[in-house]
Amino acid sequence: MSDVRLVGIKKSFGENVIVRGVDLDVTPGEFLVMVGPSGCGKTTLLRIIAGLEQADSGDIVIGGKNMNEVPPRERDVGMVFQSYALYPHMTVKENMAFGLELRKVPRPEIESRVAEAARMLELGPLLDRKPKALSGGQRQRVAMGRVIVRRPQLFLFDEPLSNLDTALRVQMRGELARLHRALGVTMIYVTHDQVEAMTLATRVAVFNKGVLQQLGAPLELYNRPTNAFVAQFLGSPSMNLIDAKRDGAKFVGAGFTLPAVGDTSGEVKLGLRPQDLRVASEGPLRGEVEAVERLGFDGYAFLKTAAGSIAARFEGADVQVGQNVAVQPMGDVLHIFSADGAKALRHPEARGA
Amino acid sequence: MNRQMPRWKMFALHAGLSLTCAVTLYPVLWVVKLALSPTQTLSMSANPFPEAVTLDHFRDVLGSTDAQGRWLFGRQLLSSIVVSAATTLVGLTLAVTAAYSLSRFRFPGKQSGMQLLLITQMFPATLMLVPLYSILQTLGLLDSIGGLVLVYATSSLPFCVWMLKGYFDTIPRELEEAAIMDGASPAQVFIKIVLPLARPALAVTALFSFMQAWNEFILAATLLNDTARFTLPVALQRYVGEYKTEWGHFAAGALIISAPVMALFFALQKFLVGGLTAGAVKG
Amino acid sequence: MFISHLAFADAPVLKLWHGYRGGEEQAIEQAAKQFTALTGTQVELLAVPYDALSSKLTSAIPHDAGPDVFIFAHERLRQFHRMKIVAPSGNGLDRSKYLKPSVDALELDGVLYGYPLSIKCLALFMRGDRGLTAPTTTAELENALTERRQNQFTLAYEAGDFYFHAPILFGFGGVLFDEKGRAQFDTPAMTKSLNWVKSLQDRKLMPQEVSGALVKTLFNENRAPFVITGPWFTGEIDGVPYSIHPLPTVSETGLPMAPFLGVEAAFVSSRTQQPELAQAFAKFLSLGDATIIRVTLGRQIPAELAAYDNEAVAKDPMISAFRTVAERATPTPNTLEMARVWEPMKLALRAVLQGGVSPADAGQLAERRYRALNREAPPTTTPVPWIIGLSIGLVTFGGWQLRQGKGKTFAKRYPEAGRGLLYVAPAATGLFVLVIIPFVIGLSLSLFHHDAGEYTFVGFANFADILTSKGYRITEPLSFYFTLVVTLAWTLANVVLHVSIGLFLAILLKDPLLKLRGVYRVLLIVPWAVPNYITALMWKGMFHQQFGAINAILGHLGIEPVSWFTQWSTSFAANVITNTWLGFPFMMVVSLGALQSIPTDLYEAAEVDGASKWTQFRRITLPLLKPALLPAVILGSVWTFNMFNIIYLVSGGEPGGGTDILVSEAFRWAFQRNEQYGFAAAYSVLIFFVLFAWSQVTKRLSGEESA
Repeated sequence: MSDVRLVGIKKSFGENVIVRGVDLDVTPGEFLVMVGPSGCGKTTLLRIIAGLEQADSGDIVIGGKNMNEVPPRERDVGMVFQSYALYPHMTVKENMAFGLELRKVPRPEIESRVAEAARMLELGPLLDRKPKALSGGQRQRVAMGRVIVRRPQLFLFDEPLSNLDTALRVQMRGELARLHRALGVTMIYVTHDQVEAMTLATRVAVFNKGVLQQLGAPLELYNRPTNAFVAQFLGSPSMNLIDAKRDGAKFVGAGFTLPAVGDTSGEVKLGLRPQDLRVASEGPLRGEVEAVERLGFDGYAFLKTAAGSIAARFEGADVQVGQNVAVQPMGDVLHIFSADGAKALRHPEARGA
Repeated sequence: MNRQMPRWKMFALHAGLSLTCAVTLYPVLWVVKLALSPTQTLSMSANPFPEAVTLDHFRDVLGSTDAQGRWLFGRQLLSSIVVSAATTLVGLTLAVTAAYSLSRFRFPGKQSGMQLLLITQMFPATLMLVPLYSILQTLGLLDSIGGLVLVYATSSLPFCVWMLKGYFDTIPRELEEAAIMDGASPAQVFIKIVLPLARPALAVTALFSFMQAWNEFILAATLLNDTARFTLPVALQRYVGEYKTEWGHFAAGALIISAPVMALFFALQKFLVGGLTAGAVKG
Repeated sequence: MFISHLAFADAPVLKLWHGYRGGEEQAIEQAAKQFTALTGTQVELLAVPYDALSSKLTSAIPHDAGPDVFIFAHERLRQFHRMKIVAPSGNGLDRSKYLKPSVDALELDGVLYGYPLSIKCLALFMRGDRGLTAPTTTAELENALTERRQNQFTLAYEAGDFYFHAPILFGFGGVLFDEKGRAQFDTPAMTKSLNWVKSLQDRKLMPQEVSGALVKTLFNENRAPFVITGPWFTGEIDGVPYSIHPLPTVSETGLPMAPFLGVEAAFVSSRTQQPELAQAFAKFLSLGDATIIRVTLGRQIPAELAAYDNEAVAKDPMISAFRTVAERATPTPNTLEMARVWEPMKLALRAVLQGGVSPADAGQLAERRYRALNREAPPTTTPVPWIIGLSIGLVTFGGWQLRQGKGKTFAKRYPEAGRGLLYVAPAATGLFVLVIIPFVIGLSLSLFHHDAGEYTFVGFANFADILTSKGYRITEPLSFYFTLVVTLAWTLANVVLHVSIGLFLAILLKDPLLKLRGVYRVLLIVPWAVPNYITALMWKGMFHQQFGAINAILGHLGIEPVSWFTQWSTSFAANVITNTWLGFPFMMVVSLGALQSIPTDLYEAAEVDGASKWTQFRRITLPLLKPALLPAVILGSVWTFNMFNIIYLVSGGEPGGGTDILVSEAFRWAFQRNEQYGFAAAYSVLIFFVLFAWSQVTKRLSGEESA
């Protein structure tokens, strides 16, 4: 178990600045998920922690030791790659044993560790196969097994589930969580999928354009996003953002007025989670239904309003494309951001927390 | 697409392919005929099979000795094998490291270096012999197997490097990174991951290097000064005289020289298909 | 191994290089052994392939890596002398001991070089079983046979070769050189001699397109009782009785046909460390017991007079007959001018025999070719502006490179440079020393004029001459543009055939259900595994007019035999057929690999869409093959463009250099036309520019592909 500390990490490729000074502390045993749109620098950061990439400036401290000049193999770090990177010329067993052989672990020890990992990952019957003969999920498990047998202090995952279909992804998410509990080691996990972030993480770090936007427990980020980007990135469908202006006791925007809360003034951005809105016959916002995403009894309707696109939840009600409907906020749900979205000014009281 | 072909179509296909094979093999049969016929001259007819068979030519070629009664063919065969094997080894070692570097690392002069490699292939080799001789003498490598091997190895380098670089480009970097994470040193990554994965391309390049050294005779005849160290093509060329050519011996020698190359070709042919194209087609 | 003679420095060792084989080789070995027994001097012999010997000598001797003594024909003496690799024989040579012409042949400006060993010249061979008497005049020869059946001839010789025509030219009173020593072609004797030869052919007294192999067959099969050939022919006669006679006298002039006399001599290297010993050895080889061994074992015609009195020699009818024949012969002139005669003469001879040119015009044809081949040395210029220009260029380039890197430290820009360069270093060093340096030297040669070892700086004159087609029309085969067009046609034809045949076969072989698939594939790869010089010689034989398998097959099909190398179109076709055979397996293998990479579900999708097989090929196979085939096509086109062996060995440029491609033309300028290395280098540079332009085009093509 190991803690990781990043101090002022900067990295650019040629003219492209990828990471613009990141400070980050990862506590021992935690499952940290780094999330953000593609190109936000999260993968680069992961590779810098692994030692596959050299930071232009800043310090990487793992387990209290500065690792800037330490080659990857001496960092005691394991990594699962997006493409799994299984060695095609080796069997499953050889793939898993490779790292141990390089470290000159005695043969019986290798055998027992591989067997243990195979049992844990249900890979037993596949040990003599080549990667070519495995399914996607099986390859995924081998890739994890390869890291597990080495028992590193720090696990790194680079979008490990992105090549799997939905059902497998849900299953593997569960397995990953279980693995984390079982091994109890520090894990850093990179993904662009906010669902993975929300379900797996003890803490989530949201990145955008090479800058760490917010770091915190998943629900905290969901409930108290520090800016409009984080607010929109987490949650599905993503938060509705509409421009408005404080006019006395009201927020006034294109074609709507809402009762004002908090003590903001001037131009702002209002954030409303679709979950907090209901399709209704009457409400502050009106628009035409453009699309419907029915999940069963309930679902989401996507409206075109004068203030922009709005998503809102509905229950049971028969919502049709082309209908003209209104949306109604369910109580005190208003997030307020500065007009440029860079700063959160107000969050509603957390519910159910 | 597992439908069975109609019978007549299958038949036509086999007939067509057999005919193509016959046309392809016809000239070769004809060399076999020359080698097995008792005469030393060309006397040709449409019939590619010998009318009378004798192994004399093979016996002469295989059993050739020199003035001291040394078994010349054996020595020349040995020399050929040593030269070709060493060329393959040296050429491959140089090409593999260079190609890997060109495929994986960024450094100044890389692009122009690659261009230069191609360019040297476009200049006819005949004019380079004179300066080459002087250089080898300066290096003290005249009349030595080592010098010949170096010349062969470097002259096939551009092709080998291009082939191998193309292949290395298709090997995902993540595999190497995975090995690094697994604790492999750069050398271990190269030897345990990259080289085994590049096997088809290595086989093809090795085959080409070997063939080039095995078949060459002008440089070998010019640079070596000892009959026993001549390679087999030089010995073969000796059957072609100013006034007459010993066709029977030449044909027998040609078959003997071609045999190992053909054997290698057939042994490596499953790599040929993959090794040659993988540079362009991923997968 | 090669330092052994240093270890025994007290026991002297002499090195002898020669191109002999068979009996001649054994004889020289025995003679060397005798010398060792006599003097205690070891002799190391090296037998070199005949066609590599000259270049090996001229490379090795100036570098002190050559032999002490070497055996070569005297025709090269002048070149050897100008390259300063041969030493005079001094007082060691006693002229009176040898046949006079054999010593005359070794004289340059009053100085003698080497020791004559044996002579070679042409004679008239006659079958002894036809009850014929040897003709002494051409009229007798023409009328020797009163009746002849179909496909029977009176006389056969290699009429397309000037070596064989020279005695006839002399018999008609021809003189090769004018008073100033310049070669002359357009003479009455030339016309008359050609007229006579043409009439022999027209009257079917002599067959067409005669090669050495044909002469042998006609004589042995009793289809031509008279052949003109040399002493080497005696080994080719299959137990048929024969006799050897001097060439007849030309009835019209009363002059004898005087053949060229070639003298093989033992030359002493100018760089030998043991000149006295080497002289003694060379002299030893040319006299006494050594001669007898060479005659009896090697069947050589001796140059030494005393040998003819030897009992064993006198009994040999062949040897003594050649002595008589040799008395009429004149040594082949060892002047540089002589070397310039062969190619124009050959051109004229073949043009007449193939009926393209009348005997009267042939002289002019040869004269034009002579003038074109023997360009005057361009004026010498000073290299100073070049050196200045080059330095400025280098400095500018260096400065530009430095500016490019400004603003960032080297380590930042190239973090991996250290390792990258380390890995490249061994290969780069090897390439630099053994490929790049010779390459740059080769490039810079194009700015020089070379004449017998002397280089003079001429700037762009070589290029100017080539590009302005100086000395010949641009529609003549010698012109760069003509050759370029031929080369492009050659490359295009080959690549198209390689790809289409290779792809077609690959498609047939692709089906994994096909039985015997592996066998077919193995058999079809065979041409690739055969060394290409063997392929070339093989096909050259198959295209032979009388004996070639191709014409034999055509004959079975009722088609008249084709004289492949007398017309441009068939000669070109023969080259293309050979190279197609050689090259399609490569494309087949590449196509197979590429086809296997196309997912089969694409075809299934197309099938569902109702696409025909042809549409599938056009819309799926071809576009998806392109990325894999394109590099192979580029590589193949460069290889074909420079495919020297096939052109040189199959058509040999026939007719009249028309089927030569740029690279074989460059070779001819370098090695067959007075060693005009500078001119040849300029050709090579132009070849390089053409290919470079082509590579830029293809780069764009493949760039579009990936974009």
